[in-house]
Amino acid sequence: MSIVLMSGPAHGMTRVLAKKLADETGWPLYSRDQLAEEAHAQGIKLGRLEASIIKSPIISERLAWEKEVYLSFVTDVLYKKIKDNNLVYTGRAAHLLFPGVENIFRVGVSVPIETRVDIVAQQLNLSPEKALDYLKSLDADIIKWVHYVHRADLRDTSNYDLLLNLEHLNLSHATSLLKQTALLPEFDLTPDSRSHLEDVHLAARATLHLALNKETSHLSLGVRASGKILTVTYLPRQKDVAESISKVLGTLEECKGTICTMAETNILYLSEHFDPRSEDFQQITQLAKRWGAAVELIRLIPPKDGKPFFQEAAALEPRTGDSTYTGGVEDDGPEVETDDGGLSATIEELVAMGRSAGGYTIAGGQREVINALRDTENYSLIILGDLFLSKGPQASIRLTRELGMAINERLKTPVIRIEELQSQFLFGKKQALKLLLFTLVVVAIYTLVFSFQKPILDFLGGELHEKWRWASSIAVALFVPLVAYTYGTIAGLILKLVNID
Amino acid sequence: MEYLIANFVQLDLSTSLQVVLLGFIGGVLSGFIGSGGAFFMTPGMMNLGITGVVSVASNITHKFGKAMVGSHKHGKAGNVDKKLALFMLITAVIGIQIAVGINSFLFKGGAGHGAAKGAGANLYISLVFAVILSVVALSMMKDVLGSSRSGDDSDSGPSRKIANAMAKITIPPVIHFKVADTSVSLWVLLPCGIATGYLAGTIGVGGFIGVPAIIYVFGVPTAVAAGTELYLAMFMGAYGALSYAYQGFVDIRLTMLLYLGSLVGIYLGVYGVKVVNEKYIRMVTSIIILLCVVSRAIAIPMYLRQLGMVSFDASYDVYFSGFSKFFLFASGISGCLVILFNVGRSYIQRRRIQKTLLVVNPDG
Repeated sequence: MSIVLMSGPAHGMTRVLAKKLADETGWPLYSRDQLAEEAHAQGIKLGRLEASIIKSPIISERLAWEKEVYLSFVTDVLYKKIKDNNLVYTGRAAHLLFPGVENIFRVGVSVPIETRVDIVAQQLNLSPEKALDYLKSLDADIIKWVHYVHRADLRDTSNYDLLLNLEHLNLSHATSLLKQTALLPEFDLTPDSRSHLEDVHLAARATLHLALNKETSHLSLGVRASGKILTVTYLPRQKDVAESISKVLGTLEECKGTICTMAETNILYLSEHFDPRSEDFQQITQLAKRWGAAVELIRLIPPKDGKPFFQEAAALEPRTGDSTYTGGVEDDGPEVETDDGGLSATIEELVAMGRSAGGYTIAGGQREVINALRDTENYSLIILGDLFLSKGPQASIRLTRELGMAINERLKTPVIRIEELQSQFLFGKKQALKLLLFTLVVVAIYTLVFSFQKPILDFLGGELHEKWRWASSIAVALFVPLVAYTYGTIAGLILKLVNID
Repeated sequence: MEYLIANFVQLDLSTSLQVVLLGFIGGVLSGFIGSGGAFFMTPGMMNLGITGVVSVASNITHKFGKAMVGSHKHGKAGNVDKKLALFMLITAVIGIQIAVGINSFLFKGGAGHGAAKGAGANLYISLVFAVILSVVALSMMKDVLGSSRSGDDSDSGPSRKIANAMAKITIPPVIHFKVADTSVSLWVLLPCGIATGYLAGTIGVGGFIGVPAIIYVFGVPTAVAAGTELYLAMFMGAYGALSYAYQGFVDIRLTMLLYLGSLVGIYLGVYGVKVVNEKYIRMVTSIIILLCVVSRAIAIPMYLRQLGMVSFDASYDVYFSGFSKFFLFASGISGCLVILFNVGRSYIQRRRIQKTLLVVNPDG
């Protein structure tokens, strides 16, 4: 089964190319225009959402939820088309749909601006100058849309499997190239990628279910699926309707269960291995409790046989177990244990605390992590644990730092290493010592200033000041930040100690 | 008030504690609404018998360090757009120079009528203060009340009308601000920065203008607007501190006493931004600004009389002055109490909710 997602600039022949591919392969073709019609028929106000996103840089919580509903709708519609069929889909940022799902052929088309100007001038009967202005404005709007809806840059080539430049390539040859590539085994869905696709679809259906139900339509929720288990994150002020969420999702077909977690915010913890008894984990849960946050875990491991993959955590698998009574006599056969680096056990611990936002394993690198995170809700903090261990200590530090920078750049979320967590957000022995030291410094400064007021004030505004004007102003400029920093640190540490930060 | 040396007064325990309290209230307001809190602390210190110029100098020096700590705190939360602050700073300096020029002209008697020296400048400052801040506060309030009436319980965010209109202006160069996640034409930014600087230079409350301008004109989220303004204030404060210290007006004791209160207050204020609904933040901010406007408006007849434009007994000045101070303190203290009440409530609520977590397990 092949899925081809084609994306290109507006008025840039992508649709023509997609149609030619569909004709040559015999695969059904679906476009964004058809999708928009279907959205309209189902009452999804796509036009309003577009106008809100493109025309306003202010994104509210409600608009973010509408965006999720829109993406879920697109996912649902396309999934139904591809369930047992091949598909060629063309539309705005089509290549960014089904984020993180492997073996989907994601194509980008590049067309010279002159060609596009000619097309627009003909289609809309405009002068070349006006056609150029129109295209510039349209491109800017689309960039804004993609930036907000997919949190991605259209120009980022790492998001495409193939980028076709039509400047020197005719349509027939381009189609032939596309067809050959689409038929490669790399773009045939594997059981793993199909399972991931089903999870993405389940989360999309759940989002639509919640959005269309009267009891839950007004909520802004985080929905994700893993192993056909749904994890729904809601805010504290929505706690009264948490049971409605389970009720509404109870009717959802192919859903094995729902975990509802209350969270004001989400913390993401990426590591190669997890241990629910470790000090690191205790620190994270301590912070999660304080912030009212849910914790999501991603186990990042090297790709197996050079191939990246995505796998849900075993802890989220339903405990089906053989229900046959054995009278306590168990099979002698060896227990099959899967090594998931402590992910399942850690998630179980988080579920028990009501702090789980789910978890999964990614085999791959920076690109796979970014792909997996692109379509998720905002995190308030991303914590990087031990990563890239197989690369050796030096490379591990560098790669972790680079991953942190890439995530920060893409998600605009603070990213820290696990070693920094204690000093940045928690109060421990080091902080107690710091508090003591800084208190001593501040007491000394205040005692000195208030014990020797006369000479100090003389230097600042008296006769001595007349002789040392510059020295006086420089002393003030240096001394004031010192007082502000030392005393500010004390104030911050004390408030951290009483959990107000 | 007894003077210890040159311009600096003798401080007793009671006065010192009152300065700490002024700092605390100013800090809470500053952390919560992003303004410097100078509108409250400077007249507060003058009320304690400290001369105006020393109050301003000590406060601006204090603002420098406080803004440094505050912007660092906001920065850690990802709320500071340094590029936007830099653009605002450059353009604001032009505005400040324009304001200083006009103020100096009026202070020297440019308003004519052979009026008392300084009265023309005072009237001009009060009028600008009252008009501009009324517009800001009323539009903020209308926005909040409008979204409440429409029954939209979600955080609908500030009105997009102005930001939408400005977003249509795409005259190059259009500058993208990464952290604020917005793009603004330089030709929109330039007048806004100059206006912010002009008003900061005229009425001394840059934050009151800068923050709404960043929110409403550029379409930046409230938290980023507050963080960016504090970052900007750090540089403006440094410039002010150096200048006043050179003139010999900085009383370091007052600065240090203000810190004792304000640095605790600012942390509480920033915490408040995180836990209090955005709509509520804007409602509280608009009420505080309106009370400040009333305070300034009450003083206007006094300046009109000094300019000879109206006539009444000069002994009434004390009442105008007294009521003006009352409203100023009422705005600061009530605003601070409301913020602290909400911070406390959110803190308790969060703890309570954590005990009643609902977990629906897969088999449940």
